[in-house]
Amino acid sequence: MIFTVDLAIILLSAALFGLVARQTGQPTIIGYIVAGVVIGPAVFGLLEVGTLTETISRMGLAFLLFLLGIKMRLEEVRHVLAPVVRISIPQMLLVALAGGGIALALGFGGIEALIIALAVMYSSTAVVIKMLNDRDEATSLHGKIDVGVLLVQDVVVVILLAVLAAGRPESIAEVAVTLAVVLGLVALISVAALLASRYVLPSLFRRIAGNRDVFFLISISWAFLFILVSSEINVLLAPFGVEAYLSIEMGAFLAGLAIAQLPYSKELQERVNPLTDLFVMVFFVTVALDLEGTELLFYWQEALITVLLLMPAKFLIFFVLIRWQKFDVETTFLGSITMIQVSEFGIILGVAALAGGFVGEEVLGYLTLVALLTMAISVYFIEYSRPLHARLAPLLKRWDTEGGFEAGKREYRDHAVVIGYDKVTRNALPLLAEHYDDVVIVDRRVDHIKALEQEGYKAIYGDFRNATIRKAAALKRAAFVLSSSVEVDVNRALLREIASDAVVFVEAEQVQDARELYANGAHCVILSAHLAGERLAEYLSTYLNDLGEFERVVEADAELLADVAPLPRIHDKMVGGLDG
Amino acid sequence: MADLLTTVAILFLAAGPFLLVANRFRLPTVPLLIVAGLVAGIFVEEEATLELAQYGIALLVFWFGVRIRLEAVRMVLSDSEAAALLQIVIVGSLGTGLGLLLGVPLEESLYLGIAAALSSTIVGKFLVQAEIQRKVLRARLAESIHFVQDLIAVILLLVLGAGALALDPIATQLGYGVLFLIGAVLVNRYVFDLLGRLAGDSSELMIVGAISILVLFIGAARLADVSIVVGAFAAGLAIRHDRERYLDLFNGIESIKDFFVAIFFITIGALVVVPTPDKLLLVAGLVVLTAIVKPAVTAAALIHRGYEGRSAVLTSFSIDQVSEFALIIAIQALVLGYLSPLVFDAIILAAAITMITSSLSQRYGERLYRALAERNLVRGRHGIIDALSRVPDDMADHVVIVGYGRQGRRVVEACRACGQGYVVMENDPSLRSAVRENCDAFVIGDALEPYSWEKARAGSARLVLCTVPYEPMSRFILEQELEAHVILSSRDVETALELMEAGALYVVVSDLLAGEQLVTFVSRIVSGEITPETLREERVAALGS
Repeated sequence: MIFTVDLAIILLSAALFGLVARQTGQPTIIGYIVAGVVIGPAVFGLLEVGTLTETISRMGLAFLLFLLGIKMRLEEVRHVLAPVVRISIPQMLLVALAGGGIALALGFGGIEALIIALAVMYSSTAVVIKMLNDRDEATSLHGKIDVGVLLVQDVVVVILLAVLAAGRPESIAEVAVTLAVVLGLVALISVAALLASRYVLPSLFRRIAGNRDVFFLISISWAFLFILVSSEINVLLAPFGVEAYLSIEMGAFLAGLAIAQLPYSKELQERVNPLTDLFVMVFFVTVALDLEGTELLFYWQEALITVLLLMPAKFLIFFVLIRWQKFDVETTFLGSITMIQVSEFGIILGVAALAGGFVGEEVLGYLTLVALLTMAISVYFIEYSRPLHARLAPLLKRWDTEGGFEAGKREYRDHAVVIGYDKVTRNALPLLAEHYDDVVIVDRRVDHIKALEQEGYKAIYGDFRNATIRKAAALKRAAFVLSSSVEVDVNRALLREIASDAVVFVEAEQVQDARELYANGAHCVILSAHLAGERLAEYLSTYLNDLGEFERVVEADAELLADVAPLPRIHDKMVGGLDG
Repeated sequence: MADLLTTVAILFLAAGPFLLVANRFRLPTVPLLIVAGLVAGIFVEEEATLELAQYGIALLVFWFGVRIRLEAVRMVLSDSEAAALLQIVIVGSLGTGLGLLLGVPLEESLYLGIAAALSSTIVGKFLVQAEIQRKVLRARLAESIHFVQDLIAVILLLVLGAGALALDPIATQLGYGVLFLIGAVLVNRYVFDLLGRLAGDSSELMIVGAISILVLFIGAARLADVSIVVGAFAAGLAIRHDRERYLDLFNGIESIKDFFVAIFFITIGALVVVPTPDKLLLVAGLVVLTAIVKPAVTAAALIHRGYEGRSAVLTSFSIDQVSEFALIIAIQALVLGYLSPLVFDAIILAAAITMITSSLSQRYGERLYRALAERNLVRGRHGIIDALSRVPDDMADHVVIVGYGRQGRRVVEACRACGQGYVVMENDPSLRSAVRENCDAFVIGDALEPYSWEKARAGSARLVLCTVPYEPMSRFILEQELEAHVILSSRDVETALELMEAGALYVVVSDLLAGEQLVTFVSRIVSGEITPETLREERVAALGS
């Protein structure tokens, strides 16, 4: 059986360096990049990257963007669209000027400086989005700005790559045509994705949401549909005489965006996340795998100087531009500090420039080194961005005027969380709504989610076992938790995670489970089988001793059974005939 | 060669429509993925994805190892192993014979035998989900038969990895197998928790670490020249752990597994080439063996052991398909050159077909059984019921209590308190001894078998009280047209109302009761009438000892 050794080495070294990074308090990305450097030709030269590994690393980037797309609800990002465009265009120009200037000052030739300028103007999608995801900040305000800017940059990269692939452009007009074609295609695919999300996907996903396997695989198919169209767009359009390229990342993002508008995205995030983590890990390890040590280090002094100058320049440019769009200082600071690295696209652009004969291998080495160093350093800045901001807050204060933008997301606090809407829990909902500002219900059925939202409840579609879902329901900050799950491990996990002063109601099937749950902190365990047993025994005694009384009680019960209101409003009626 | 990413994309695109079909008709996904592969095979070169498919195999077996429950092993020993083994031997020989008859050489015919004998856990689990949850006897029987077969499959993979079926290499292979098991136990005991501690709360690192362990075991398997599947299985055992404690890890591995396993099944479909007449003959033979002969043999074996006809027949309908392990064995043999494309294709096609027919036999199982029983084709023996049950001949005016779970026990107590005679009816083997010790009169048998009711002397009973909220059973009881009053249980209000309409005196809906209780306690808490701590004390006290 054929198994590529390179993938095994990548996995093992990533696990090793990842754990070391974790233990020494470094971000895992650093562990991965270092692993790549160590096993790569720069140090040990253990392996060459095979087709499979390369494919997985490309899938990693695509899935990362797909995952990002899934998180973007249009209503939540619409308000940053215009500022993002206004920020990103001047940002790229200014960074390119800074990068080109630095390169010229360091003695690079004109063409080389131009390529360097074009290569350093993007920030790293992989680093930024990975860090934002890990820190749960992708949908925060500064996260949305950064993501938007990255997407605009992505379009520009695609155009540049297309131009470079065609060799030296003959005229400005040719560049303009490429630009128009790419923008047109992006617009076209966006429209297709959004139309699908409105007219096709809702009914499709409603049908498959109940089937875990089908749901996951169909979503993956959906992503691959867009990936395929983007990567083969040239082939598809060739009969029309149009030459065009799209990045698969852009396609994957749009595929995710279409799903994000549906109520199932949280569940899907949880399923796609592990795959993405694994594949992106391969990407980070392989970033440094292509270059020989000598080429990588040929311009090491220049690279160091560039890093030292370019990162502050990037930060300043972002800071000024984001602030110019009237975002508050904290958002501006966090949004800027996240974007100070040079992108992996810089390396890819360098490769294309090398292939096109614009630069030599040493310049590619220089670009790679700059990208690796800035990525690694920026990871720390992102990791510690909040403490850093707190430290610098007094300094930044004088820029602080009234911010024009508010973060859209309200955080739940001291709310009630109900896990599973069913015949038992539904009875308690009106009661909880009377006493808590927010009642958040997590459920796995779409019709439930719809019905609940119509009743004015906050409903989250997904499996409570998933950390994302628990986070979305803000379980840790809940004041009241009611779980309809009878699975002891789910309830045990729940009890471990909640705040110490929260009131917890859970269900169980067995008495010994109930005991254990009480011991672990539950306040009330509902045992429906137990209750039914009590009721049956009572009724049996009545039946055996007094048939008349029995018939009276049964009639009263039948009336209650026939009341099929989805949320019984009159809880006083909910008392059995023989109770009390 | 086309771009690998493009190939993978095409595989998934091809799968999309077929997955929708699976969902629409509630079919298992595996056969539909294989069929999708047949289509995708036209557009792609499957060689390209063969490697990705290998990861699918590794992860599939890895997952089997991860999910193994040691209690299950113990349970199986007490259940049905003889039936399972007998069935494998008989059907396996028939499959081999079929191959020989059609002119397939012996070495390859053996693979046909394996394909016919082993059944699919994935498909079986999908089909009897509901029954597994209800802890129905036949679901348990089917589960344990599948489990025994999977273990045998792993051993077969180990042995077949030796290539030639000579004694020496097999002994060596088995020796390696034992070494891998020891390695797995050691890793499980010492390395895994260390990994957990080092990774802290990073599920990403846990996943990378766990997959690394898989890769290490596979690497070791390759060095030792045993099947990578054996390595993957051992790795699974090495990771096997409390699911609750490492929830994110196992959910994550499951996602990764699902992705690669889908590629595996599609690729396997893509490997099949256009059928020729002799291939179709082989396929037909395999399908008949798997979908008809295998369940017949299994049912006969179970009935022979004394199980009721219904349990035996319905159990056999859960195992009438080709196993995913048979596919793994086949693809390994194909890659190693032990198996001709002809036989390989036949196995794959037969697998896809029987996995689909199996869903049908499962869906219409009850009807099929009735049809068979009415034509006297299944003559269940009453031997087990008669031997295990105890009902006095003069029992009359009694209460028949169906189910001896928590509720059944409460009801028995109530009967005793009133001095009322009763007969308990129960079918779960794990409750047998409790019934025997605590009840004066009882029937050990399936409540959906008419003979059980005859045995319980239901004709002269005063009341039938069913504590099992299973609608077909409720309907069956009402259909018996007994003189006695009938009290039933139901999970939902709609069914309860229907059952009362159909003649039940009363139907208990436990969820409704629980809802009442919940509302009472929640309102006491939110109104401040009682503190959460006091409520807890009160409830713990109410549980009694």
